[in-house]
Amino acid sequence: MIHPSSSPPVTPYALKGVYKGILKVSVMLALTYALISGLASILPAADYRELPLLGNRVAVWIPAQLHLMFAAFVLGVPIFAVITEIIGAVTKERRYDELAREFTKLLAMAYTVTAVLGCMLLALLVLLYPKFVGYMSELFKPTWLLYIVLIFGEVIVAYLYWYGWDTMQGRYKKWHIALGVLVNLWGTALLFVADAWVTFMMSPSGIDEANHLVSLWDAVANHTWMPINIHRLLANVAFGGAIAAAYAAVRFLNASTDEERARFDWMGYVGSFIAIGAFIPLPFAGYWLGREIYQFSEQMGVSMMGGSFAWLWILQASLIGSLFFAANFYLWLGMGRIPGANRYTKFQVLMILVLALGFLTWATPRSIIATGGEMAAMGGSHHPFLGLFGVMAAKNTAVNLMILTTFMSFMMYRRGNRIPVVPWATVGKALQALVVAVAVGIVLFYGVYSYFVPSLVRIGFSVYQVSAVLGAMAVFVAIDIPLLKGAREIGAIQWGKIAPRAQYALFFMAIVFTLLMGLMGYIRSGIRQYWHVYGRVADESAHAYTMSHGSATLIVSGIVLVFLLLIAGVFALTARQKDKRGDAPAQVALAGEDAR
Amino acid sequence: MSRTLAKILVFTLVVIGAFAYLGQLVPQFVEHPPQKVVITTTTDKADLAEFGKKLVRGKGGCLVCHKDQETGNERGPDLRKAAAQAPSRKPGTAAEDYLIESLKEPGAFVVDGYPNMMPAAVKPPAKMSMAEVKAVVAYLQVLAGGEPSVTILPEDVATAAAATGPVHRGRALMDTHACIACHSVAGEGGAIGPELTTVATRHEPATLLSKIRQPSTWTAEGFPAGVMPVGDAIPEGDLHEIVAYLASLAGKSYSATGATSPWSHEGLRLGLVILIFNLGMLLVLVLARRGERARGGASHG
Repeated sequence: MIHPSSSPPVTPYALKGVYKGILKVSVMLALTYALISGLASILPAADYRELPLLGNRVAVWIPAQLHLMFAAFVLGVPIFAVITEIIGAVTKERRYDELAREFTKLLAMAYTVTAVLGCMLLALLVLLYPKFVGYMSELFKPTWLLYIVLIFGEVIVAYLYWYGWDTMQGRYKKWHIALGVLVNLWGTALLFVADAWVTFMMSPSGIDEANHLVSLWDAVANHTWMPINIHRLLANVAFGGAIAAAYAAVRFLNASTDEERARFDWMGYVGSFIAIGAFIPLPFAGYWLGREIYQFSEQMGVSMMGGSFAWLWILQASLIGSLFFAANFYLWLGMGRIPGANRYTKFQVLMILVLALGFLTWATPRSIIATGGEMAAMGGSHHPFLGLFGVMAAKNTAVNLMILTTFMSFMMYRRGNRIPVVPWATVGKALQALVVAVAVGIVLFYGVYSYFVPSLVRIGFSVYQVSAVLGAMAVFVAIDIPLLKGAREIGAIQWGKIAPRAQYALFFMAIVFTLLMGLMGYIRSGIRQYWHVYGRVADESAHAYTMSHGSATLIVSGIVLVFLLLIAGVFALTARQKDKRGDAPAQVALAGEDAR
Repeated sequence: MSRTLAKILVFTLVVIGAFAYLGQLVPQFVEHPPQKVVITTTTDKADLAEFGKKLVRGKGGCLVCHKDQETGNERGPDLRKAAAQAPSRKPGTAAEDYLIESLKEPGAFVVDGYPNMMPAAVKPPAKMSMAEVKAVVAYLQVLAGGEPSVTILPEDVATAAAATGPVHRGRALMDTHACIACHSVAGEGGAIGPELTTVATRHEPATLLSKIRQPSTWTAEGFPAGVMPVGDAIPEGDLHEIVAYLASLAGKSYSATGATSPWSHEGLRLGLVILIFNLGMLLVLVLARRGERARGGASHG
């Protein structure tokens, strides 16, 4: 047993662990540099070099997407960990600290895989696209060095965070939490630097007519930089939570005792809660990104939403729609282990109806696929009477209602075994019902009204719909917290007593999140079409074409499968490692404890 | 346990497989980059209209919003009627001028009922030259059943700027490495050394490379030997860039990449960062160990 108060917060043991990380990164970077320099001097000079069999584009795509997924994981896990650690410190519940520790332990190996994939990507980019990489590296020269420094900094703080976990307890806890916050700030800085490069390729700025640099800051702070930063930050949290929940689901299904089942059931719940919590504002961040793309280039925006990429949004709608189903399904099954929650079962029929109708509306294509003969008979690509089918007005309405439904599911789950006892409980509940009804009314009103106004006016309506939903959620929670203060508890949550199929809902969420990342990554990169830097530097290689959606989804599917296998490997190998303290599982009190 | 893991694997494969299958159900098409067209002052008008059609359907990206046949998008006006409606669109502006203006400055006049959302054809991403703009006008005129009236002027062709591939930085690097202090190129620079605009017409890129690396290899006629400094301080990648630029002035193609560019100096910087972090961490580790020993000694004492 460690007595934290008598140990210094940072021991030589912890520093040795950190140094191992530094050494690992140093060796990897040096080897990559040597490999690139060596091969570049042997290979013949060319603007593009061709990789046999796989081809340049796919060869770069696979490690790039895998690197991005692992990077999302190693950035998402510390956010997940520090939130959980703070909850543990505030509530004094040891199990939160154990949960955060268990996931932080994964970081060392996950960093290694991320770095290996990053090095592979760098080598392939420099060797296959030397001219373009030369241009980008010259343009963003100061940021490459900053990125390397940030990598080392991230390794130092993240490894200290892990290796200092046991010694930085008790009176040092606040410093450990501060270290966790630092890991996240550092990780966010890394993300922001890398985003500057990719977003410049999408929406270039800061260069003159001849593509020479005028202002580095303008090149960094281009139209899509901040929206993508925010979108990725939220997505990383959701992704980290979903993967954590899937890990808990595996452990739950393999558990042999009730105690283990209780522990992993609870862990899965916390993971899914964080995932869903971060997932709900994601569509709003997506709106912002879309708006900035239109601001930058109407043509790019229209190509993305209504042109060749429009069909990929149908795939995206199917994935996100399924995600909403899975999240609600999990919450509803979870309510089975909450005494008293059955009083909300009656609402589930209405909720599933909203979700199903929302799903159908969202996944409906803009127009039908018609043959030449059919088009001639209709007098155009659209039906003469019905016109367009899946228009944005209806889709926005559907998405907002699905978000609100999922939020309500969670609120019911949260209130499951509690009955408010404050004197103003009836008024409070009526107010909550009112704000939700008003939000639904606003969303429906603007949804219908959108059909009667031009598209430019219609685009602005989505802001009112989003604001109504966000506002309703904020007011609902603001009332709910004091409302449930001192609430009468019907009974304790029966952790572990949940149907195994609920665990498959957690797997489903993790897989779909990963598929979404792959698909959205392709859309984001693909809308540049035949440009390295949109409208400025053309891709003159043989791979500049936009591939068919079928081929793209096959590649994305393959990448997702490889990622899931790799992450499973990271979990399995980390589980075998023994840390200094050992791995005594935390005991989860089955009675009297509440995850909220 | 293995049974559970097998179930999870099958479940994962089914979900991913369903997504992959869904991807095959949506319409499938492959979009290739637009073909490059070369327009000159002597290009035949029928060819010009044909080039214009290619530009409308390809590089211009016009069909994202317009249609030039029965089926297509209707975010913008129907292109089949554009030339016929042009004479009456903007009072006081001739039809051809109106069509050119609507491509160069679409916001100058917006047709009623349509939003002001069209990007200028002469700016990225279409970045058409004037010759290409006129080719599009020729196509619109033919599309409306008329004859092309546009004439390609020498200045239209001179400003033609094809989509640029990865950028050659040779000219900028000649400033960086002070070549321009002694040599002139494209009308700029000093007169101590030979004029370099046409140097690549007389010498192969490899010869130019060896000259910059080791000036004593040969000396241009009429200039004294031993004046030019040895170019070994110029990074390898930059050398290739400069030679590629000079070769391009002579109409020759030379790839600037292949050597260690752009890593020649980057390697040094990378090594420095690695060294600093490793030495720093080792120092911290040694100090921490010393502190621990001191505390151990004190507690024993």
